[in-house]
Amino acid sequence: MKKHIFTKIFIGLTVIFFYLPIVYTVIFSFNSSRSLSVFSGFSLQWYQKMFKNSDMMDSIFYTIVIAVLATVISTVAGTVTAIGLSKSNKILKGVTEQINGLPIMNPDIVTGIGLLMLFSSLAVSKGFMTLLLSHVMFCIPYVILSVMPKLRSLDPNILDAAMDLGCTPVQALIRVIVPQITSGIFAGALISFTMSFDDFVISYFVTGNGVNNISIMIYTMSKRINPSINALSTVIIGIITTVLLILNITPIILEKRKEKRKK
Amino acid sequence: MKKLIQFKNIVKEFDSQIVLKGINLDIYENEFVTLLGPSGCGKTTILRILGGFLEPNEGEVLFDGVDIAGIPPYKREINTVFQKYALFPHLNVYDNVAFGLKIKKEPKDIIEQKVMRMLRLVGLEEYKKRRVTEMSGGQQQRVAIARALVNEPKVLLLDEPLGALDLKLRKEMQRELKRIQQEVGITFIYVTHDQEEALTMSDKIVVMKNGEIQQTGTPTDIYNEPVNRYVADFIGESNIIEGIMQEDRRVVFEDKVFDCVDSGFEKNEEVEVVIRPEDIDIVPAKDGKLTGTVRSVIFKGVHYETIVETKTGTRITVEMTVSDPKPVQNISADESMSANDFYIDISDIPELTKGDIIARADAQAWKTSTEELVSITKVDYEVKAEKGSYPVTFSTASGTAVAIHMIVADENKVENGNEVIYAVNIYKTIDDIKESIVLDTDLKTWANAQAWTADGETGIAITGVDYDFEQENIATGTYPITFSTRGYEYKIDTTEKYEIGDRVGLDFEPDDLHIMSREG
Amino acid sequence: MKSFRSMAYPYIAWSMVLIVLPMLLIVIYAFTNEGNSVLNIRFTLENFARFFSDRVFFDVLKRSFFIAVMTTLICIILGYPLAYIIARMKPKSQIIMVLTVTIPTWINMLVRTYAWRGLLEKTGLINSILSLAGIGPIQFLETSFAVILGMVYNFLPFMVLQIYNSLSKMDRSYIEAASDLGADKVQAFLRVTLPLSLPGVISGITLVFLPAVSSFFIPKLLGGGKYVLIGNVIENQFLTSGDWGFGSAISLIMAIVIIISMQITKRLDRDTSSEGGKL
Repeated sequence: MKKHIFTKIFIGLTVIFFYLPIVYTVIFSFNSSRSLSVFSGFSLQWYQKMFKNSDMMDSIFYTIVIAVLATVISTVAGTVTAIGLSKSNKILKGVTEQINGLPIMNPDIVTGIGLLMLFSSLAVSKGFMTLLLSHVMFCIPYVILSVMPKLRSLDPNILDAAMDLGCTPVQALIRVIVPQITSGIFAGALISFTMSFDDFVISYFVTGNGVNNISIMIYTMSKRINPSINALSTVIIGIITTVLLILNITPIILEKRKEKRKK
Repeated sequence: MKKLIQFKNIVKEFDSQIVLKGINLDIYENEFVTLLGPSGCGKTTILRILGGFLEPNEGEVLFDGVDIAGIPPYKREINTVFQKYALFPHLNVYDNVAFGLKIKKEPKDIIEQKVMRMLRLVGLEEYKKRRVTEMSGGQQQRVAIARALVNEPKVLLLDEPLGALDLKLRKEMQRELKRIQQEVGITFIYVTHDQEEALTMSDKIVVMKNGEIQQTGTPTDIYNEPVNRYVADFIGESNIIEGIMQEDRRVVFEDKVFDCVDSGFEKNEEVEVVIRPEDIDIVPAKDGKLTGTVRSVIFKGVHYETIVETKTGTRITVEMTVSDPKPVQNISADESMSANDFYIDISDIPELTKGDIIARADAQAWKTSTEELVSITKVDYEVKAEKGSYPVTFSTASGTAVAIHMIVADENKVENGNEVIYAVNIYKTIDDIKESIVLDTDLKTWANAQAWTADGETGIAITGVDYDFEQENIATGTYPITFSTRGYEYKIDTTEKYEIGDRVGLDFEPDDLHIMSREG
Repeated sequence: MKSFRSMAYPYIAWSMVLIVLPMLLIVIYAFTNEGNSVLNIRFTLENFARFFSDRVFFDVLKRSFFIAVMTTLICIILGYPLAYIIARMKPKSQIIMVLTVTIPTWINMLVRTYAWRGLLEKTGLINSILSLAGIGPIQFLETSFAVILGMVYNFLPFMVLQIYNSLSKMDRSYIEAASDLGADKVQAFLRVTLPLSLPGVISGITLVFLPAVSSFFIPKLLGGGKYVLIGNVIENQFLTSGDWGFGSAISLIMAIVIIISMQITKRLDRDTSSEGGKL
């Protein structure tokens, strides 16, 4: 029994540890005073300030646009590549998988400075494009990583079977392969979206010319106490929580609908 | 019948390994053709070339007289039933079968009609809404066949389609496939390594080996007239005997002349004679064309597989003298030593070494307390290349010694036609016999038993070791041991049960003998 | 089918430019000076000499290493029991707990780290609670404690999830076999569960140590401007002083430190698991 209480306390403490800063941020974004320790009353003033601050609004806009674009591009590119790799010979596959692992294994700061030097050396002006390219670059490996196992579990003859039945190669991919790897593609897209949405380190090195995302915004503003950051943070927490809820609830709803149809 | 497919000198390489070495094959309309051979013989490669999934390196494939090189699989009037079926797991039974028609954008009502007709043909109309992943192997198999046939191909390719099914289901599906083929009336090309499957279903069998066609023909042709040993072995059980073709319709084997129905061989050409086990009858010994002794009888369900030996191999009998000596003890040096007398051929004397003597005499010395082996440092002997008995003394460094006799005798051998067998008499202790783990092999080694062809070129295996004692209960004394080589054996299917050891005669008709050229 | 294989070619070209080439640039610049243009590079070991001759940089490297090791150890000490408890829960509770641990990682690290500033301030929530007990106020911010706390907070979920994965995949029959062979609960844990979960711990270490040693915003947010780790030095070289050669050299040194540490960890794993095999 004693043991039980210990585990409960331990779990309780870790949950508090994980969520205290998040809850704290949300609460103090509604604080009427500047204080970060005393809650002196409910107010939306920090949100008003945030909405009036065009830099902050721009950063929210860029973050969302980049995340959506990077997700779409890297999901498509990653899936296409994974399918190509699954039909490639061992050496090409092995080498590509190794290279693919580099951005995942490298510390972000190394990836960041590498890209910074690349863009500068090629005289690409830093801004929206470099940010987007970099995000696509670090998202594709995650898509490939989540699609590959699904492809591996397919019947090796499945593409041949589709073409045997009259599909052109493109039709075979769309009608037979893609439906069977959808879960992998979605997982890859989800990881890409959150990776892009939350990225700070790489973005910090490759962006410029006033194009900032939320993370960079917080980092540069954090030198002084500024409760608007809490408001901005709460917006991020809100967006991510919504995305997570939709993704976790949609399959349940679909499943229930299917069951109903069966009945 | 019309030629539908012609393979012309097809060569295929993978990574500079040749898997098809010039295949020439014609396939006709409405034929059930089976490509038969072990895995890796190239049969699946032929199928994949025909399906359009592989391009040959050389040669051409004509379909209805037109070269189909470069035509992609989706434009060929050919459909395939894949190994493990390759059904689409995200679609149900109906949608799997309808897949090809939907791709061709046929009207919905036509699709419905055709799919339901196919599902009826394979007996799955009740299951159309079922997920394919929830179906048994046999049912998935039927879905795969329906999915291919619904497209009304001119040819259906089947790549080991029954491989994943259990025996009973496989038999059932064999009949089913044959029925379906007759009902739809198109060409089936079937790949398998199972000869029985090939024999029951096919109109034509193509036997393959290492990327080459060995023989093409009807099941009866292939079974009755195999062109070589490989085909005969692969298709059914057979007795293959070496013989000589004396002249047309006359073959010699087992030193007897037999009538046969084959001709066209050269005079005195060395050939192989195939006799199927069911073509031989067992008759009383006096009536048989060959006589022999029943060696084994195995019940095979419907019949007995009886093995009759017509000619025993060459045999030689030697004497084994078994003693129960106590090892010599040297108490002061804490040593024990043992050795036994042995026979040796005169011809071995010139090359005799001390090591040979120690080995033949089984001389050993050891520490009495620890059983640790002690080396034998001295072997004293004098010997001449003449028959007789010569003393030998073995001794160790600390002076323990044993004296024995080495008996020089004439070479003990038996010649029998083309074979010679050698062996020598042996002396052994009771412990040697009792402690032997593989007595037959040990006896061969001890007696130095060997058999050769008369010209001394080729060794012959000694397969028989006969003796009349029980290893566990061996006592001192002298025992005869007979070594023998294999004789001629015939596998015969009989309905009657014969006893092992019966003398019987073997009878067969001239047309039961099938003559083939020797390979290689 | 050749046509399908060619679908991978564009990405291979892309990855050469955006993955391999930047890595090469780091190596090239680490051995060059003469400014940042690729056109007039010259081979030199000056950057490395500068790093090792200046005690300041070496101290920073040591401090970064120390902070990363401490973070990793604390993550193991906290993460293993948590993962173990989760893995032994009912399946439904396991899913909920795994989600509970995962969700914070989906939320921006900067947001969550920034929140700790408010919590750790002299007038912040934690000091307010401590003052009720008559303690403090304690200076948390701008200390190693705050930096390590921030790192543990950010990276602990990775450790928990990795260990949980290896524990939950483990076949329960191993433990049953162990108790069948006479091991009591503690022995079964030490001799079976622990060695079998070590691969999870190792990948957890990778996921914690790597970002910890290279992090630069956690020290900046919680350690203040004076608290400098190797990541901050690299950041400065690139964004403030613009010395790519020196920055690349430091990155390379950091990469080598990471690779060596990882090799040692893997070696330890191999040794202990081969010991486990002797059971």
